[in-house]
Amino acid sequence: MKRWGWLLLLLGSWPPGLPAADEALDRVMRALAAVPAVQAAFREEKMLAILQEPLVSSGMLYYHAPAYLRKQTLQPRPEEYEADGHWLTVETPTDGRRQFDLNGYPQLRPFVEAIRATQAGDRATLERYYRLDFQGTPADWSLRLTPREPEFARYLTAIVIRGHAAWIDSVETLEADGDRGLMTVSPR
Amino acid sequence: MKPRSPGSVPTRPAERRRHGWIPWLWLLAALGCGWIVATTPVTADLSVFVPRGDPVADLLLEQLRNGPTTRLIPIGLTGDSEAARATVSRRLAERLRNSGQFTRVANGADALPEAELQALFAHRYRLSPTVVPERFTAEGLRAALAQRLQELQSPLAVLQKRWLPADPTGELLTLLRVWRGGIGEPAKRLGVWFSPDGARALLLAETRASGYDLAGQQAAVAAIRAGFAAASAGTRVELAMSGPGVLATLAKDQIRAEAELRGTLAMAAMILLLIGVYRSPRTVWAGALPMLAALLAGAAAVDLLFGKMYMITLAFSMTLLGETLDYPTYLFSHRRAGETVEGTLRQLWPTLRLCAATTLLGCLAMITPDFPGLSQLGVFTIAGVTAAVATTRWLLPALLPPGWIPLRPGEVGAWADGLLEPRPKLALAFGALGLLLLTALIARASPLWENDIAALSPVPPALLRLDQELRAALGAPEVGRLIVITAPDAETALRHGERIAAWLDARQAEGTLDGHDGPMRYLPSQRTQRQRLARLPTPETLAANLAIATAGLPFKPGLFQPFLDAIAAARAAPPLRPEDLRGTLLGTRLDALLFAGNRGWTALLPLSGVRDARTLIADLPQAADSQAHYLDLRVETNRLMADFRDTALIRFGWGAALIVAVVWVGLRSWRRVAAALLPVLLALVVVVATLLALGERLSLFHLVSLLLVLGIGVDYGLFFSRPGTDPAARRRTLHALLVCCGSALTVFILLSTSALPALHAIGLTVSLGVVASFVAALTLARPLLTRMS
Repeated sequence: MKRWGWLLLLLGSWPPGLPAADEALDRVMRALAAVPAVQAAFREEKMLAILQEPLVSSGMLYYHAPAYLRKQTLQPRPEEYEADGHWLTVETPTDGRRQFDLNGYPQLRPFVEAIRATQAGDRATLERYYRLDFQGTPADWSLRLTPREPEFARYLTAIVIRGHAAWIDSVETLEADGDRGLMTVSPR
Repeated sequence: MKPRSPGSVPTRPAERRRHGWIPWLWLLAALGCGWIVATTPVTADLSVFVPRGDPVADLLLEQLRNGPTTRLIPIGLTGDSEAARATVSRRLAERLRNSGQFTRVANGADALPEAELQALFAHRYRLSPTVVPERFTAEGLRAALAQRLQELQSPLAVLQKRWLPADPTGELLTLLRVWRGGIGEPAKRLGVWFSPDGARALLLAETRASGYDLAGQQAAVAAIRAGFAAASAGTRVELAMSGPGVLATLAKDQIRAEAELRGTLAMAAMILLLIGVYRSPRTVWAGALPMLAALLAGAAAVDLLFGKMYMITLAFSMTLLGETLDYPTYLFSHRRAGETVEGTLRQLWPTLRLCAATTLLGCLAMITPDFPGLSQLGVFTIAGVTAAVATTRWLLPALLPPGWIPLRPGEVGAWADGLLEPRPKLALAFGALGLLLLTALIARASPLWENDIAALSPVPPALLRLDQELRAALGAPEVGRLIVITAPDAETALRHGERIAAWLDARQAEGTLDGHDGPMRYLPSQRTQRQRLARLPTPETLAANLAIATAGLPFKPGLFQPFLDAIAAARAAPPLRPEDLRGTLLGTRLDALLFAGNRGWTALLPLSGVRDARTLIADLPQAADSQAHYLDLRVETNRLMADFRDTALIRFGWGAALIVAVVWVGLRSWRRVAAALLPVLLALVVVVATLLALGERLSLFHLVSLLLVLGIGVDYGLFFSRPGTDPAARRRTLHALLVCCGSALTVFILLSTSALPALHAIGLTVSLGVVASFVAALTLARPLLTRMS
């Protein structure tokens, strides 16, 4: 029984095609890591169980290596999220500017890293919070991030990032309660 | 009584027999005193300084004893890696929470656990200050829903949206904001609190035991040490902690260790000195008996009269008893062949009696019904000195063989005659120096006294610094300024608190202060809760308003049924009382700010950034059946200390007058009174001037030491001014005073090298005083006697 267990474990951790996927992921990561700065427009649609129609918003994304990411929503109302290092600054018209130390909010950090660490090509950081599942080729890929922490998995089922070469095309968020968000990114 | 002419007194068998019962009586009394002392509690309590019947002082004391800040133990973890510190912080917090010693253990990781969120959520309509009728009209609901819709857009919505169907007006968010506003939070790393530089992981533990329950605090400290030992196994993380209780516990250990070390050293030095001088082991136990009698009798008298003893009185009193060490020395040095012990004592008795009487009367002035601490000090010294002088006079001759003489009797060489030669010019110069110093002291404008209670703290400075660092890093409430409300019940206190909070809001807008907190923030009075609930809309009105508000918004139909149900349930619910919150974090915070005491209920409203205390004191809204006081703990404590010291000074003045009177009664000659007392006056002036020149600021410790100097100095003056013309007798007196001075110096110089502020102050003052008194009495006493005749 014990022997069979080992065999199963080996098989499980050695699915066919994995070395190729792993190498492709590394190539994508290296390509992303070589990008010093990004400026893009985004459009986000959220499909929520409590709403009859999707929530749509749009705005700008700014990134520069290695750890600066800013999401500036312009429509339907202005709002800004800026992650720099381990600081998160949130600015809304109602609450003004608030700063959070990401180290102190373990439930926020994986959300930030899903996009920031992917854009930075920082595979080690991604693997700290997620199990990675890479599909496709470096020219046209998708990366599925599944949370490692059960605490975080209570909220989030997975984040799926799609892209081509060193460009992220979309970020899809699958929440545990069935709600879904899709952010599409276009160059500007 | 006139001193008998010197000469031998024959020992009569009858006299021996008559004295046979004395040792037995003494032993019985000593055992009795010992039993009383052993059964009486010693309390470490600031009430020693507090005059009776001062209401503000009473509040202050209660704060210092039981206030929430005295229960806080800030904990710091240093060393090893950041990850290791964070891990140890988590493990330690869990262990401490399970230990049952603490009402709260916070390290940042537990900001608000799910259960607490649920509790806040369940009580939201009673607790939230934003529950007002306008919020539940069609317009109010519409605005709230639009706001919620915008929040759903945010990436953070995933954490909050589950509350939406039952709380569309966002009362939980309001409550979380109120909750966060209470105290500032330290920065976090790896999910737990850290100091700004990251070198120290921080925790805050609140003990169940009060800060002045030393046993309870010791148990808490032991629990933290044990928890840390288990949590840090395998790491190189180190533990540091502070807080009033811990400081007291650590200080107690450190003081005990320091006092024991120096006590043993002093004892050994004294024994060596006595044996070295007299070459007679008998002097050691015979010399110790009066001091022992003084301690037992003093402690027993205080216990019988007051029922308890303050730790600080005990320490002060033991200092004052330093004088009793001299009594047997006078006997030893004055022994000579051809005279019985009893005979020597009879000759010495008038002077010895006067020495004791001056001290007794000086201390009589300290007994005042207003200050229990001062009275204890007086009673202790009076009983102690009486017992010591009685032991010397009656027990020693009964125990020592009648003809006993130390192997090396109290004789000094011919050089002493030169020393004893009156030198009027030198005396005049000394007197002039004293006058000059006195003028300088009086003219001196800079503060003479240390009014800061921190300077009186027996806690070593390094520990105090750690406490400040930990507190600053934790943002722990350092309740310095607050408003205290006392009321017959919690409800009255909360209502009064609400009135004051509204008034403080207006003062805050005017810039009088920066912020305020209070129990009513977390739990409104029942009246306010009832008003809130009564103004909630009926189910029909709410449903109609909601229908209007949701029209055109994308929320699914029927989504807000939980909200309709919650409002209907809230309308029927009773108001929350303090006891309903027991066991929750909210309840813990409330308990710190609202608690029952022996005078009904007390509510605390901590203030921050107070710029104009006078406005706050003058216009504070008062209520019919509850009182509000503005309290600045530091200012109040220091004021109490200053009051205590001023009272003590006036009392000492009366004591000095009594001393002059008793010396006159004893000597019947103003010339001899001057010869006995002027030297010690000069010595006191010199000591105070020297202390100030050394940069010391005078505290109560110095003051008590000066009292001892006064007691010893008067003795020196009395002995040096004894009218005997016999040069041999005068040499013996010089010998006695040299030994007294030497032994006092040995003990008190040892104390003065201590790092503990209290021991250092006492040691330095007494050492200086003994030398100054000796030199002054030696040079001044005889010229004053001869010159003025």
